[in-house]
Amino acid sequence: MSMTTLEGFGGRLALRVPYRAVLVSVGLTVAIIGVLTWSLMTGSYPLDGAQVWATLLGDAPSDTATTVVWEFRFPRTLVAFIVGAFLALSGAALQYVTRNPLADPSLVGVSQGAALVVVAVTILAPGMGYYMRPILAFGGSLVVAALILLASSSRRGGETLRFILMGIGVAALISSVTSALLTYGDIDRAMSALGWLAGSVHSVGWDEVRWLTVTAIFVVPAFMAAARPLSAIRFGEDVATGLGIRVRMARWGLIILAVALAATAVAAVGPLGFVGLVAPHLARRLAHSGVGMHLVLTGLTGALLVGLADFAGRAAFAPVQIPAGLVTAMIGVPVFVALILRTQARSQL
Amino acid sequence: MTPDSPLTASGLSVDYGDATIVKNIDLKIAAGQITALVGPNGCGKSTLLKAFARILRPKTGHVTLQGQPITSYATRDVATRLAILPQGPVAPEGLTVTELVAQGRFPHQTLFRQWSPGDRAAVERAMDMTDLAEFADRPVHSLSGGQRQRCWLAMVLAQDTPLLLLDEPTTFLDLKVQVDLMALLSRIVHEDGRTMVLVLHELNLAAAFADRIVMMREGEIVAEGTGAEVICPDQLRAVFDLRADVIADPETGRPVCLPRTPDHVPMHALAAAAE
Amino acid sequence: MNATRTIFAATGFWLCLGGVVLAFLWHISVGAKAIPLGVVWQAITAPQDGVFDHVVVRDLRMPRAIFAISVGAALSVAGALMQGVTRNPLAEPGILGLMAGATFAVIIGIGWFGLAGSAYVPLFAAIGALIGAVLVWTIASAAPGGATPLTLILSGAAVGGFLYAIESAAILLNEDTFRNFRVWLSGSLTGRDMQTYLWALPWFIAGLIAALVIARQVTALAMGEETAAGLGVDTFRIKVIALGAVVVLTAAAVSVAGPLGFVGLVIPHVVRLFVGSDYRLIVPFSAIVGAGYVTVVDIAARVVLAPVEISTGIVTTMLGAPMFIWLVRAKL
Repeated sequence: MSMTTLEGFGGRLALRVPYRAVLVSVGLTVAIIGVLTWSLMTGSYPLDGAQVWATLLGDAPSDTATTVVWEFRFPRTLVAFIVGAFLALSGAALQYVTRNPLADPSLVGVSQGAALVVVAVTILAPGMGYYMRPILAFGGSLVVAALILLASSSRRGGETLRFILMGIGVAALISSVTSALLTYGDIDRAMSALGWLAGSVHSVGWDEVRWLTVTAIFVVPAFMAAARPLSAIRFGEDVATGLGIRVRMARWGLIILAVALAATAVAAVGPLGFVGLVAPHLARRLAHSGVGMHLVLTGLTGALLVGLADFAGRAAFAPVQIPAGLVTAMIGVPVFVALILRTQARSQL
Repeated sequence: MTPDSPLTASGLSVDYGDATIVKNIDLKIAAGQITALVGPNGCGKSTLLKAFARILRPKTGHVTLQGQPITSYATRDVATRLAILPQGPVAPEGLTVTELVAQGRFPHQTLFRQWSPGDRAAVERAMDMTDLAEFADRPVHSLSGGQRQRCWLAMVLAQDTPLLLLDEPTTFLDLKVQVDLMALLSRIVHEDGRTMVLVLHELNLAAAFADRIVMMREGEIVAEGTGAEVICPDQLRAVFDLRADVIADPETGRPVCLPRTPDHVPMHALAAAAE
Repeated sequence: MNATRTIFAATGFWLCLGGVVLAFLWHISVGAKAIPLGVVWQAITAPQDGVFDHVVVRDLRMPRAIFAISVGAALSVAGALMQGVTRNPLAEPGILGLMAGATFAVIIGIGWFGLAGSAYVPLFAAIGALIGAVLVWTIASAAPGGATPLTLILSGAAVGGFLYAIESAAILLNEDTFRNFRVWLSGSLTGRDMQTYLWALPWFIAGLIAALVIARQVTALAMGEETAAGLGVDTFRIKVIALGAVVVLTAAAVSVAGPLGFVGLVIPHVVRLFVGSDYRLIVPFSAIVGAGYVTVVDIAARVVLAPVEISTGIVTTMLGAPMFIWLVRAKL
């Protein structure tokens, strides 16, 4: 790995910078800007790239362009990017903490916990304030995550294995309760909840952008600080303790972070599956790097994935819109399968 | 024994599940020497090692690190004084040798000071000592068992601690590789002036390389001393239920244990025991 | 098996069978208008054309009860075989992707290829179940660490989510064709016609017979592949037959009722508690107990929130998932 060392402040700042990873992250950022432009151009009222950027920079060619870009396409695309980054980071954290490459918030019950709460609110208390949604979703996911953790803790060890399996069981249970609620509930509200459950960026606006940003301001610095404990925890509990990590505390903190990210994302757009599963693996393929840089790459990859999925979902069969959640699942699984098959083939060489 | 032992256990008992695995142990680790913990499977030697490294919390008693209770240190401060290599660690996919070794610098780093010249020097030294320079950029997974074990050893060496605790570092290695590794450990301790505690499965390896041997059985210490003091037929029978002769190695003078088959045991008794 | 145990097992079997008959009659008697058990019995044994209740029982209610019994038996036996052959206590057609595959194939077969004939439904379901099983197994084997219970279940969940996404997209794109499938997709015994059931019936029977025939060898396989080979079992052949039986049973069940989750997990474990580890007992007892279980669950699905009816699949999952959680806690 080619690296250079960055030093300053009399040796108080000293970091290693892997070239390739930095290049890749720049490339990903460019790709994200490209998807943003493309996404803002496309729709029933087409614009060209120059018009899009003019509109974004406050020099719109027409009032319609302003409305279309600022009211609809831009917030929606932003939400897709942020949600993608959140879910990807959440998946990466879960994979590191559980030391399992197949962990994902939508497989282990975290997304389902958030979904249940949101569906329950939609159906049983439709008048509840909109801003309560992310908080309640976080509460729901946290309760579920705590239940899974408690149920899987045991003196016999092997906690991470049980955490994931418990998660799958709990996910199934919660989904069935959600379905029962849908059956029981008023048909109109149920239909609205159902659309949301498919994971759709369709109806989001600046409100979602706002609270996603607020969450990001709190969570992203925490994640940066967490990169170091993560790099030790991936060696397992005993080695991490030997290196001076308070494993239990670090694990809880990281799981709460992962849950917070997934829950906020789910509250905004519904349970988008498989982003958390695929993005960390894809990022690892793109550039070999340490944990910190890997998290950066994972976030960017996730943003790009969901941005693309949203774009594909509304462009492919227009005017029918395929929810981004379905697209991420359809793309995510084959990509994931290809990734692990390739890993296997290579390690056998 | 040196009076200022860097690591001691007093009245130490450790539970695992409902069973008490380590029972009321008092032990002082000798500074600058290799101490080997030996004993039959399930005698509590690994548990004792983990309790020494604060991975397991004792039920009663306490561990003292450099004169103070180990619990009075922040866990990161423990990690700059004492390194432990657990049994059979697994590296994450794709990690290179240098990255693995560099992980040992963890307790010396902070969020903004992640890679200093001191870190680089320590990693290079550790890789020199373990003769890993040629593998620096290879993935850990592509190496052989012995090479991999050397990587892990380099990681704990890079941690740069006066105390090293290793849990069965030679298990699953070829005999030649075991001997090479033990010779390396012996060099590290005696040339670098470090203190090492090993859990070993192989009695003759302990006899050949350890300065002191602690024999355990059912969670208690049965015998403690140099190889010559501890390894004798009576002890082997008492600790391992093993009938063996002990001779002196003609080259080093260290004891060598020669197991004898229980030839006076009739076959049908063996068959019964097997069931 | 000694004489006492044989008598014990036979008694238990007849008792369970009696229970199933009772559940069957109860199932028929419950509904918008309660029909007394006596009338139900009469309608079955000595039907009279003019009596309204008899017509309701024979034409409307009895088919659903028969579906419940068949589906419960099929899924439970399939689960028992999977657990025995793979030695994985958490194996089940729903968890390991067979159900998702079968559902998917039926949706696609009907939606894309326009095959409306009910004769094709079990066939498509079987192909889908087989593909689902192979897919899950391949992914799990390719994962680091190989096909452990953990990787199998995770890849089952991933394949399930994947297929579900495609189904949902297909439904979105063509809502009219799929309107009828929405209910079926959540696992329900309503709205299926006798025609489909009759086409699925041979599959049910073939699967159950195959399961009974290999039960003895499955007992050996459950003790480990090498042990079984040492006992003279052709392990490869038995595995192929078992896979075939599981696929056929799952396909038949899905054709009739859609995906009913966790039935195949719960019942064999409950049965094992009572009859031990001999699959010559586990298979028939699973069939009987599973039949009774789904019948009772279907009653609950209709009664609990009446007049709203919950899909049977939702109820089996609500009951089965806690069992899964408990198994994870106890066995892993």
